[in-house]
Amino acid sequence: MPATLRPYGLLKEYVAQQSEVSVASGRTIRETLLELGIPVDIVALVTVNDVPQSKDYLLQDGDTVRLLAVIGGG
Amino acid sequence: MNGYGGNILRVDLSTGKITRQPTPADMAKNYLGGRGFGAYFLFTEVPAKADPLGLENKLIISSGPLSGLMVPGAGKCDFTTKSPLTGGYASASLGGHFTAEMKYAGIDSLILEGISPKPVYLFIDDEQVELRDASAMWGKGAITLEKELKEQFGEEFQIAVIGPGGENGVAFAHINHDFGRQAGRGGVGTVMGAKKVKAIVLRGTKQIPVADVQLYRESSMALFKACKEADMLKEWQRYGTTIVTSWCDEVGALPTRNFSAGSFEDGKTLYGPVMREQIVITDKGCFGCPSPCGKYSKVGRYKSHVEGPEYETIGMLGSNLGISDIQDVAQANLLCDELGIDTISTGSVIGWAMECYEKGILTKEDTGGLELKFGNVPATFTLIEKIARREGLGKLLSQGVKKAAQQVGKGSEKFAIHVKGMEQSAYATHYATAMLLAYMTCDVGAHHNRAWAITYDLQVGRERVAEDKVARVIWLQNFRPMFDVLGACRLQWVELGIDRNLYVPVLEAITGVHRTWEDLEKIGERIWNLNRLYWKREIEDFDRSWDLPSPRFYQEPPKTGVTAGKITNYEDVQTLLDMYYEQRGWSHEGLPTNDTLARLDLAALAN
Amino acid sequence: MRLYIDNAKCTGCRACLVACSLNLFQESNPKKAALLLIPHFPAPGVYEMKVCTQCGDCARVCPTEAIKLNERGAYYVDHDECDLCEACVPECPEEVMFVRAELANHAWKCDLCGDCVLVCGTDALWIAE
Repeated sequence: MPATLRPYGLLKEYVAQQSEVSVASGRTIRETLLELGIPVDIVALVTVNDVPQSKDYLLQDGDTVRLLAVIGGG
Repeated sequence: MNGYGGNILRVDLSTGKITRQPTPADMAKNYLGGRGFGAYFLFTEVPAKADPLGLENKLIISSGPLSGLMVPGAGKCDFTTKSPLTGGYASASLGGHFTAEMKYAGIDSLILEGISPKPVYLFIDDEQVELRDASAMWGKGAITLEKELKEQFGEEFQIAVIGPGGENGVAFAHINHDFGRQAGRGGVGTVMGAKKVKAIVLRGTKQIPVADVQLYRESSMALFKACKEADMLKEWQRYGTTIVTSWCDEVGALPTRNFSAGSFEDGKTLYGPVMREQIVITDKGCFGCPSPCGKYSKVGRYKSHVEGPEYETIGMLGSNLGISDIQDVAQANLLCDELGIDTISTGSVIGWAMECYEKGILTKEDTGGLELKFGNVPATFTLIEKIARREGLGKLLSQGVKKAAQQVGKGSEKFAIHVKGMEQSAYATHYATAMLLAYMTCDVGAHHNRAWAITYDLQVGRERVAEDKVARVIWLQNFRPMFDVLGACRLQWVELGIDRNLYVPVLEAITGVHRTWEDLEKIGERIWNLNRLYWKREIEDFDRSWDLPSPRFYQEPPKTGVTAGKITNYEDVQTLLDMYYEQRGWSHEGLPTNDTLARLDLAALAN
Repeated sequence: MRLYIDNAKCTGCRACLVACSLNLFQESNPKKAALLLIPHFPAPGVYEMKVCTQCGDCARVCPTEAIKLNERGAYYVDHDECDLCEACVPECPEEVMFVRAELANHAWKCDLCGDCVLVCGTDALWIAE
C-alpha cells in the first residue's frame, strides 16, 4: 500500500487541485515533492501520521502525509 | 451608529478633565475605526514636530466596528501615537479582550492627552471614568500588577499596564494585557509612561447596536464554520506562530546572530514541536478566536509561566542572539513582558551589542563586565534588566539600535538592523526581495505585519526584482492592515486561508453599510498615504533614503547557512523602490503626488 | 441532553459567551451569557469553564415556576414569570444560574441552543446525553 499525500491550500495548485495523491514509499519527502513539481521551499510544515517530520523523512507504506504552506505569514 | 461604541473619550491628563463626544459619522465612513481612527487623530490633532514624550503628543487607543462582536478574532485594539523610537508614525496592535470591553463601555477611541502631574491609572466602568492615584503601583512589573488589579476589581475588568520600562522611558516600551498580549512596537508604552499613566482598568456592560441581528448571526456563523473547517486549523492551533520556526531556518529567513545569516546551526531545539513538548501547557485565545495561536508555557528550568514565546521572540531573543534553548528564550520573553519592553526591539539591540562586543567595538568596560558574546544566556538576562532600568550599557541600548549605533559609531551603524529607526522583526531578508521591500516601505518602520511576502518570494523566484512582486507588496499593505482598522485579527485569513469575502456580509449586517474588499482596500490606501504624509511632515530630511534597508542586506552575504553567499544588489534595492513609488502614485522622492492625494480624498488634509 | 466542557481544550476566547448572549438576549455581551469562564492566570495558566448540566435544581426551587422545559428538553427561564427573587442562584451546583438586575429584568440560564458548540474552535464544548 503506497503512501498518501495531502497538499493543502496553495500547494494544491501544483497537483491540479487534487486533495489526495498516492505516492510511492521508499523515497524521501523531498524527492517526492520534486517529482510532483511542488516547490520544496514553500512547504512550511510536513506531518506524517500527524507527527511533524523533516523533508528527509523516508516514506513508509500506509503513511499519511500532510503538506502545509504558510500563505500569509505573521 | 450601528457597529460602534458611539463615543470618543478624551482624557486630559494635565487638567484631569474628561470629555465624551459622539463618534463623528463621516470619520467612521472614511476611516472606519481602529487603526484608521488612530491615523486620522494623529495627523489632525498632534501638532507638527511635537515632542513624542511631551504635552502635545497623544496616545490614541481605538477599537473597530467588528470588535467585541461574534466574529472570529474580534479582539484587536489599535494604539497609535508619535513614536519616541522613530520620531514618526507608530501603531501597535493589541489582542486579547481589551478592545471588546471598550465597545461594551461605548468607546470607539480613547485619547490620552497631556501629562499627568502624578502617576495615575485610568478607571472606566461604563459611564464612570476617573483618574486615580497610582503611586503605590508605580515601579511594579506588568504581569504582577495585572494579577493584583484582577484580584482587586474582578475578572470582568480588562486591564492594560505598562512595566518599569515604560516608566523609565525605554524608547521601545510596550503595553501589556491579558497576561501575555502586548501593544508591542514603536514605543506606545513609552508614551503612556511619559504621560504617567500606569494602567487602564476597564469594564463595560452596554449593548453594541447592530443593523440586522439575524443576518449578523447567520453570516458570522458562516465565518466560524469556515475557520473550523480550514485545512490548517489543527496545526495552527497546536503550534501557532511557531509553525514557521523550522521553515524559516530551512529557507534562510531565521535571523541568526544579528541577522548575519538566515539559518542557525543550533536552531533545531527552538522548533515548534520541541517547544510544544517541553513547555506549552495551554492554547490561549484572544477574543472570539477559533484558532488560538497563543502558546501559554510553563518553563520548568526557571519555574515560571509565560505566554509564548511567539515566533518573533524566538527569532529575536533566540537565534538572533545565538541562543538555542527554548526555555532560555521563554525566560527572556517573560523578563521583557514583566519589565514592559518589546521583545523584538530588545532582541535586536542586544544582538547588535553582541556583535559590537565580538568585534571589540564594545569592551568589558562598556558592558559593565558582561561577556557579551553570542549565546551568553545569563548576560542576556542581565542586559534585559539593565535596558528596562536604563542603567549602564542598558541606557545606550534603551534608545533603540539606530541611536545607539549613531553614538557608538566605529562602523557599527552598518549592522544596526532597522528601517526608519524601527528594529527589523524576525525575517532575514538577504535573499527575498519582496519581503525586503515590505520591510523598507512598512509605514511604522521595519515591521512585518503590514506585508508578509516570503512564500510569494519563494514561489516566483526569491532574487527576482519585478513589477509583480511590488504589486503584491502594495496589495498586502492596502489589505492586511484593514483588519487592524476593523478591530479584528487578520490571522484567520492569513494562516487558515479562509475566504475573505465571508467578512463582507458580516460587516454589512453589523454596520448597515455595504462595503466590498475593494472599498476597504481604498480606505487602506487612504490611510497608507496619510501616514506617508505624516512622516514627511515630522521628519526634517525625510526622503527616499529613509526607505533603505540596513546595509547588511545589500553588502554582506551570509557566510553560513542556506543563503550563504547570496545578497541583494544595491541597484536592485533602488529599482524596487522606484517601481514601488511609481505603482503607488508617488514621486521619485517617495511622496504622494497631487493626483494620488485627490483620488484618495486627501487633498484637503495634505494642505 | 446537556452541554459538556473539556477544560483542557478551553482557550478562554469567550466566543461561546458572545454566541450565548446573542441567543438569549439578541445582544453581543459576554456578561449576559449562561456559561461561566474562570481564568487561572498567570499560574497555573489554565482556563476553567462551568456549564449547565440541566440538573433541574433551579426549576424545583423556583417559587413562581418560571423555569420550564423547552422543546429541546432543557430548562429555560420564562421572562414573564421570573420576579428576580434569586432563590435559584444558590441552588445551582455549577454557579451558572444568573440574576443581575442591572443587566436584565429576569434570571437567565442555558437553554441548550447549541450556538456555543458551533463557535468553539477547539471542540471544547459539545452536547450529549
